[in-house]
Amino acid sequence: MDVEEIRREKIERIEAVIKGKEPDKVPITAATTVWHGAYAGYTPKEVLFDYSKCKDAWLKVAKDFNFDTFTFIPGLEGMIYTIAMLKDAEMAGAARFILGPTHLALGDVFTRWPGYELNENAHPQFIGKEIMKVDEYKQLIEDPLEFVNKVAMPRINKKLANVGSAEYNAAMAKYGAELAKFGAFMAEASAELAKIGYPTFPMSWSYAPLDFIGDFLRDIKNVVMDLYRYKDVVKEAVEAIKPLVIKAAELTAPPAEIRKQIFGTEVVECFFPLHLNEYLNPKLYNEFYWPSLNDVFKEVVKTGQTPFVLFEGKHDAHLETLLEAPKGKIVGVFEKTDPRKVREVLGNHVILVSGPPNSLLIGGTPQKVEEYMKSLLTDCKEGGMMIWPGVDGGISRDAKPENVKAVVEAVEKYGRY
Amino acid sequence: MASMEEEFVNALAELDETKTLELAKKRIAAGEDPFKILDDIRKATDIIGKRYEEGRYFVSDLIMAGEILKQVMEILKPVIGEKRGESKGKVVIGTVEGDVHDIGKNIVIALLEAEGFEVVDLGVDQPPEVFVNAVKEHKPQVLGLSGLLTEAIESMKKTIEAIEKAGLRNKVKIIIGGGRTNEEAKQYTKADDWADDAAVGVRKIKALAGVV
Repeated sequence: MDVEEIRREKIERIEAVIKGKEPDKVPITAATTVWHGAYAGYTPKEVLFDYSKCKDAWLKVAKDFNFDTFTFIPGLEGMIYTIAMLKDAEMAGAARFILGPTHLALGDVFTRWPGYELNENAHPQFIGKEIMKVDEYKQLIEDPLEFVNKVAMPRINKKLANVGSAEYNAAMAKYGAELAKFGAFMAEASAELAKIGYPTFPMSWSYAPLDFIGDFLRDIKNVVMDLYRYKDVVKEAVEAIKPLVIKAAELTAPPAEIRKQIFGTEVVECFFPLHLNEYLNPKLYNEFYWPSLNDVFKEVVKTGQTPFVLFEGKHDAHLETLLEAPKGKIVGVFEKTDPRKVREVLGNHVILVSGPPNSLLIGGTPQKVEEYMKSLLTDCKEGGMMIWPGVDGGISRDAKPENVKAVVEAVEKYGRY
Repeated sequence: MASMEEEFVNALAELDETKTLELAKKRIAAGEDPFKILDDIRKATDIIGKRYEEGRYFVSDLIMAGEILKQVMEILKPVIGEKRGESKGKVVIGTVEGDVHDIGKNIVIALLEAEGFEVVDLGVDQPPEVFVNAVKEHKPQVLGLSGLLTEAIESMKKTIEAIEKAGLRNKVKIIIGGGRTNEEAKQYTKADDWADDAAVGVRKIKALAGVV
């Protein structure tokens, strides 16, 4: 088989699962932030700040491990930058993650990076901060886009503190240059991946409205307390944010002709990382989190995109609410909810993605990984599923290569239909 | 009608912030023994922990409980001074090297203090030697290693190895805690126990400290 045929086969394998069908075998969609570096002998700092090293490591892993897709998660949560850039499709799409170099350009207060605030072998981290005071909800609700740009961005980014100043202009210019560099690197890497038979899927960006407030404006702890103390105003804010995250999904999807020509697929995966889901009790979840999120899901599905949702932490208590979401249209990666339970409660209502946790890839043995995978695939593969190795956040820096290899081998053995 | 004590315990267990604080102030104004109020706080946190383990309360409820507890303790401080009655034991806790997350750790600390433990908080991103020195200096019954990242597991392992190397391993029980810890991680790091949520963590720390 030539390389293009292999790539085609991988695309079709994933497309089949997304359409609710069983392909020839269960696809493996791997992702990592720094493990490729560890595998190729680079520190997290090197792969996050030096794109040539990153690409080298990315391709090395892609060659050595037979995944169906291999995604580099390039940075930390930065959806507020996408929203800030909502008047421009290209910039809105490019700005989705806070990258190491954009952190340096803008001086955001949210994140910590290896080689800068952390030692160079550490994983980058989003810590967050209270940006909006509780009495500013009203202002946010009145004009959220204006609030994000004029109030929040200057507080989030130290170098944008003084709007219109010389430092501000220089920082924005630098930021644009870094995004361009990053975009060129991603395009180049995708092209090289294609040459070794790896597809890349088109992505678009959205968010749960309450997470947007928790992650970027109020901070997690404060937004949780707001739910007990200031119910009504939080609800209004959620409704105000909702149209922006819907718009973001529409705007950031690559246009149809690019999808076909460059990516070779019609599928667009719209990425939703959920954060407060595990925090909230069912009452709060059903009152403040789920209704608006489901509205966003429905709108995104209407545009033909496929929500690709990371259910972080335990989602057990909220599983049944997913029956209200569009059937067979949402891909769900369940971090700590037993996939068997997902199947039991949801059947094929949600397209299941699961995989071994990182603790097993770090501390286990190939034999233990094989046992885990055999049981998972036997119990869950019927009706179609995908494997995401290191289901808690993508493959961890310390995952043992032989254990990751065991995932691929187990899928060959037990993942065929 | 319920007594003010019962009402106070219920208000706190129900996470009714306004009522809890109001009643705490009332009880102090009435000249009640502050240590009696502390006992009631412990009763309420027990109920909160139980409800969490029964799946009735979630992390959001623990965050709110921690916030209310912090405010009640502020109200009590002037009347009890630094003494908090008989200590149930000493716990040293910190987030391991390379990880700067602390929401979970801070909830555990709030609950442990409400339970009457003395807690030494080492902060975040702490290298093994800081934990070794803290065990030497404070001689805790339990050492808690916290971390959210999957990369924290390796740091926990290194920290426990350093404790072992310093000849302190049999002097202290060690628990690892965080969203990505589990039985596998416990075995890999050679900890005595693990907890992936704060309420279970507090129960296990109590067991490790020999407090039932």
